[in-house]
Parts: sequence; structure tokens; C-alpha cells
Amino acid sequence: MATRETSLKKSSPALFQQVQGVLRTQEGVLLIITIISVLILATQTDKFLTVKNLLNQGRLMTEIGLIALPMTFIIITGGIDLSVGSIVGLSAIMLGYSWHNLGFPLEVAIAIALGIGALAGAINGLIITRFRVPPLIATLATLAFYRGLAEGIAQARSVTGYPAWFFDLGQRETLGIPNQLYFLVIGIVISAILLSRTTFGRSLYAIGNNELAARFSGIPVNRNKVLIYAFSGFMSGFAGYVLVSRVSTTRSDMGSGWELDAIAAVVLGGTSITGGTGSILGTTIGLVLIQLLKNGLALSGVTGDATIVVIGSVLILSTLINIVVQRRLRGV
Amino acid sequence: MRKFVVLTLVLSFILAPLAALPAVAQEEEKRWDGADDLPVNPLPCGDEPAPEPEPKEYDGGQPVNPPDLAGKEITLVDVPKLIGIGYFAATTKGQQEAAEELGNVKVTTDAPTEANIDEQITFIDNYITRGVDGILFAANDPVAITPVLKKALEQGIRVVGYDANSLPEGREWFVNQAEFNGIAKALLDSLAAEKGEDAKFGIVTSTFTTPNQARWIAEMWAYAKECHPDMVWLETLEAQEDYNLSFEQANTLIDKYGDELDGLFGMTSVATPAAADAVTQAGLCGEVAVVGLATPNAMKPFVNSGCVKSVVLWNPVDLGYAAVYVMRQVVDGNFKPGDTEVEAGRLGKLKVVNGSEVLLGPPFIYTAENINDFDF
Repeated sequence: MATRETSLKKSSPALFQQVQGVLRTQEGVLLIITIISVLILATQTDKFLTVKNLLNQGRLMTEIGLIALPMTFIIITGGIDLSVGSIVGLSAIMLGYSWHNLGFPLEVAIAIALGIGALAGAINGLIITRFRVPPLIATLATLAFYRGLAEGIAQARSVTGYPAWFFDLGQRETLGIPNQLYFLVIGIVISAILLSRTTFGRSLYAIGNNELAARFSGIPVNRNKVLIYAFSGFMSGFAGYVLVSRVSTTRSDMGSGWELDAIAAVVLGGTSITGGTGSILGTTIGLVLIQLLKNGLALSGVTGDATIVVIGSVLILSTLINIVVQRRLRGV
Repeated sequence: MRKFVVLTLVLSFILAPLAALPAVAQEEEKRWDGADDLPVNPLPCGDEPAPEPEPKEYDGGQPVNPPDLAGKEITLVDVPKLIGIGYFAATTKGQQEAAEELGNVKVTTDAPTEANIDEQITFIDNYITRGVDGILFAANDPVAITPVLKKALEQGIRVVGYDANSLPEGREWFVNQAEFNGIAKALLDSLAAEKGEDAKFGIVTSTFTTPNQARWIAEMWAYAKECHPDMVWLETLEAQEDYNLSFEQANTLIDKYGDELDGLFGMTSVATPAAADAVTQAGLCGEVAVVGLATPNAMKPFVNSGCVKSVVLWNPVDLGYAAVYVMRQVVDGNFKPGDTEVEAGRLGKLKVVNGSEVLLGPPFIYTAENINDFDF
């Protein structure tokens, strides 16, 4: 074992250092924690580490994942969006309402739902940038407002009876992989490229590090902020569509509490809540870690109430480990 | 200028839907239709006997190639709406009693700590992956839970519901604690007895779409129209299944309607004690009657103090007990589609209604005379 390692070191020192470098990043540490958790859980039950179960988990985490991506952008700028769960509910209701009550074709109703999501997000952005309301307060207000709107429009009715093709996205699979998982993967790739390979993405870090400096360097701070909140609303709307397709009904209480699940995935993934640092890779690992923990614990026979306690502890522990490791590496 | 445009845009987005709301609101009568487009079926007024229900063909789902476990030990999982509330603790107790009596059933209760549709689905999904012989459930949403239950049936897992139904194709049988029209009748008759035929009342419920509560309210609407036409329906408020919120909503009704208010209905096992608490704290015992569904332990202080006269419920311990017995009979092949009754241990024979439902019995009314005999 030792000789192989040395030979590897000798033959390609660059590669080895690269691997070592990756493992030293926040994401690397988190990845190691994830792998260790998976291995431990796999010893507890043989039902956990199967392709079928893992793909099924992918199906279940897609909605939160779609929301966590733009949430990463927003938190990197030092903002937060608490209204995402309510936008999920509002979009879901608008989908059902415009199809069932207003008589639009279902395809148009889906477009309306996504549009309403984006609009609701843009409104968040406008309130935050134009009226200088702190994001926490602005989106706390719209959290209540959008949910109230959803309940008012729904008028206590859930919409059901969608045609069979509508369930393709949420309940069926292509080439053995749940359909919605493709969209999550595409979303992850696009978001990752957007964040790390474009000037737009770099501007988000700049805003998070020092907004004033960003403004003086000519970054269109307000425009970019409105864009990411609108993107967040759009993805919440899309998550609402995916959820309706998965559970085959529309309710006004859909998505309640999801903002916290999405934020948990983002901050576990190493994005600083004060802004300036973070990555889509980290968010993705955070998302997967939480989902696999929930699932693995349930499959090993841990009951629901104990599971949330364990998850809470793991969140704190992995954040602590990461802080300690990063400090050591920086030699502070 | 630009700021003005943006402000107008934001305001119009906020105000437009509000202006549209009255147009959206359906006429009241249509609103309380149970949120499921099912017909209402009010019972006759007073003491007239209910007509015999029309026989209906079996409409439940069937598992695909279930293993033959007749007489063998089976492992069941019970996924109620949520855990940590007295009501489902009582159904769990009944299930354990049945399991102990039968000796060849192992049942564990596991569910989310909040009544949440997607979490409940995830719980069931995980148990399907883990592999159990049967699933008992109480649905948070009848439609949303059905796909995952069908998945269980497709894998040969037996499925029996209790307390809150799914669509019929999602389970083999549903143990119905009390027919909706029976509960509606018991509630309204109790209020009429206490406050007279012209009582004005408000309702605190969970949500307008929660299966049981929405149906009860729909049946109450229909029964009140037939048998208590002079009663005035003031307002119905949602309060999830949350004690503090229910308390607040009960206070809202008390403050809003003042002297007008004669009675409050609590539609959930937390809304009723919360409403009774609100009435007690407002010093309105006797002025405002509280009638509702609740577990006896939560209501004992209010019933014993005389603030609440009648609590309507079935016995949830019996409900859980019956669910496990029905499951055992299904697995053993003693209870098949088309049967009209099923043997359920100490409860005797239970009747089949509505095609694929097992009826626990008429609702039970707890009063000051009997409530102290119960402990759950």
C-alpha cells in the first residue's frame, strides 16, 4: 500500500498535490465527512447503498436542491431568501388554479406558474434594492404575503385530476433515472458555471465581500441582485411544479418550511452566511449529505424524532470540523 | 420617476390579487363542500334511524403477488399524520394492545413530528425500501399519499388505512372511525341542546383541505341546513393542528363577534381544548359553548369545571386496535373484497361500508358523567 502511494507520488506529483489540494478545501473536508457517513450507514443496513435507493433519494431531494442553488448565490452576496417555500406554494397553486379554474391548457399553466415564481422573486429583489429593506426583513414579509396569497387563491381547494403525462416529470424515469434528477443535474452544472466561470458570478462574490467597493468598481449591484432573487423565485416555481407532479395534487401549504432545508444545505456546504465565500459544489455535497443521512438513518431503524436530533448534531459537528481543519491548514 | 414606476409596479402586484379575491371566493355554500367534490349525505334530524346504506362494490387496491404469510409473524409499520400528540399516541396504544393479543404481529409507529405531506411520503417510501409486510397509515392528504401507497401495493406490501383516508386505490381497506355525517350530527345536536336552535357559532379547524375536517364541515353545512336552519354560521378559521395558533384563532372569533358568539366548534383534537382554554381565560364560560372533537385527557379540566358540556369523539385506542386486527385478517385471508363484516377481537364484528371501509361504530359523546373513566 505504502509503495503504491509513493510510486503514485513519484509518477505524477502534480496530480497528487492536486488531489491533496482539493481535499484541503471546505468542500473536500465535507466530501470526506459524507463518504464516511455513507460507509457507516451502509454497514447498518443492506438496503441503503443500492442504486435503486440512491436514485430514489435523488428524486426526493430534487425540489430542495433546485431551491438551494440560487440560495447559494443569494447567501454569497450576503443576502437571504426566506420566501422560497411560500413561492413554491404560490406557484403550485397558480399552476392548478390557472389550469383547473381559469381553463388554460396545462402547458400554459406550467409556464404561468414559473412566471409567477420569477415575478415573486423579482419583487423580492426590487423591495430589497429599491427600498433598501434588509433581505431578511423583506423576504420574511413576503414569506407571509406569498403564502397568504396562495391560501387566498386556493380557497381551501386542492386541485387534482391532472392528465397522466403531467406525472412524467415527477413520478417516472428515463434510462432508469428519475426524470426530475436530470433537471437538478443540469441546474447544478449551469449554476456552477455561472458562479465560478462568469463575470456575473464573480460579481456576486464581490458584492458579498464589500458591497460598497463593488458599487464603486462599476458592478451593477442592484441589477445583479434583482436577477438572483428573480432566479430564486423562478427555481422555487419550478420546484413547485416538480412537487405537484410528484405528489399529483396541489395544496396551498406546499413547500412550507423548505426555506430552512435549502439554507441548511447551503451553509453546510461551506457558504458563509455573511457572504463572500461559497460554491455550488459545496451546496450539492451539503444537500446530498443531509438527504442520505435522513434516508440512511430511517433505513437503519432510527425513528423520525431521533433522526432530526442526529441530523442537527451532524450539521453542527461537520461545521465545527470544517472550521478546525481550515484553521489548521491556514496555520492560524 | 423610476422609483415611482417601480413602486407602482410593486404595489399593483400586491393589490391586484387582493382586489381579485372577492371574485375568487366562491359562494359560501359551494365553499364547504369538503374540498373533494364528494356528495354530502346528511343524517335524518333528531332520533330518526339512519337509512340502511346502499351496498357498494369493493373499490380498494390490491397488492401484487403478496407473500403468503397466513398465521406467520408479520412486521408492520404505522405511519400516522404525525407523532407526539395524544391522539396518535392513543391509536398507537391500541395497535400495541392488538399486537400483544394476537401474538404474531410486530408493529412500530414512526412518522414526522409535524403533519407534513412530503415528509410523510418520504417516511413511507423509506419503509418500502426497508421492507415491511404491511403499512398502516393516517393520511395528511388523500391524493398526495396515494402514489407512494400504490408503490407499496405493487411490491406486494399490504396496506390498511385508519383515521384519514387515501384514494381507495391506494389501500386495501380503510378503518373509518365514524361516518362523517354521524360526527356532524353529534356536534350540531350537542350545540343545539346547549344553546338553542338560533345559536351563532364559529369554527376552528386544521386546514380547509384536511380530509376529515373538510368532510365534517361539509356534512355540518348540509345537516345544519336540514335540521337546524336557524343556526348562524359566523366564520371558519384555519389553525393547522397547532395549539397556540388554535388558541389565537379562537380568541380572534371571540373578539370579533363578542356577544353575538354563542358557540365554538373545535374540529381537531388540539383546537377544542385550545378553544375551551380561550373561552375560560376570557371568562365566558356559559356564555360561549365549546363543542368539539378532542381526547378526554385534554378536555377533563374544562369538562370538570363545567365550561364544556360535551366532547364528541370515537375511541382512538379502539381505532388503532381495529386497524391491526383488520390487517391481520387480510394477511390471513379471512377478510377479502366482497365481505360485509370482519372479526376484530374485543370489538366483535365490524361492518363494511362504502365498498372498502370498515366502520368502527357511532361516535361517542364524553360528558361530565363519563369522561373521568377514560385515560388517553
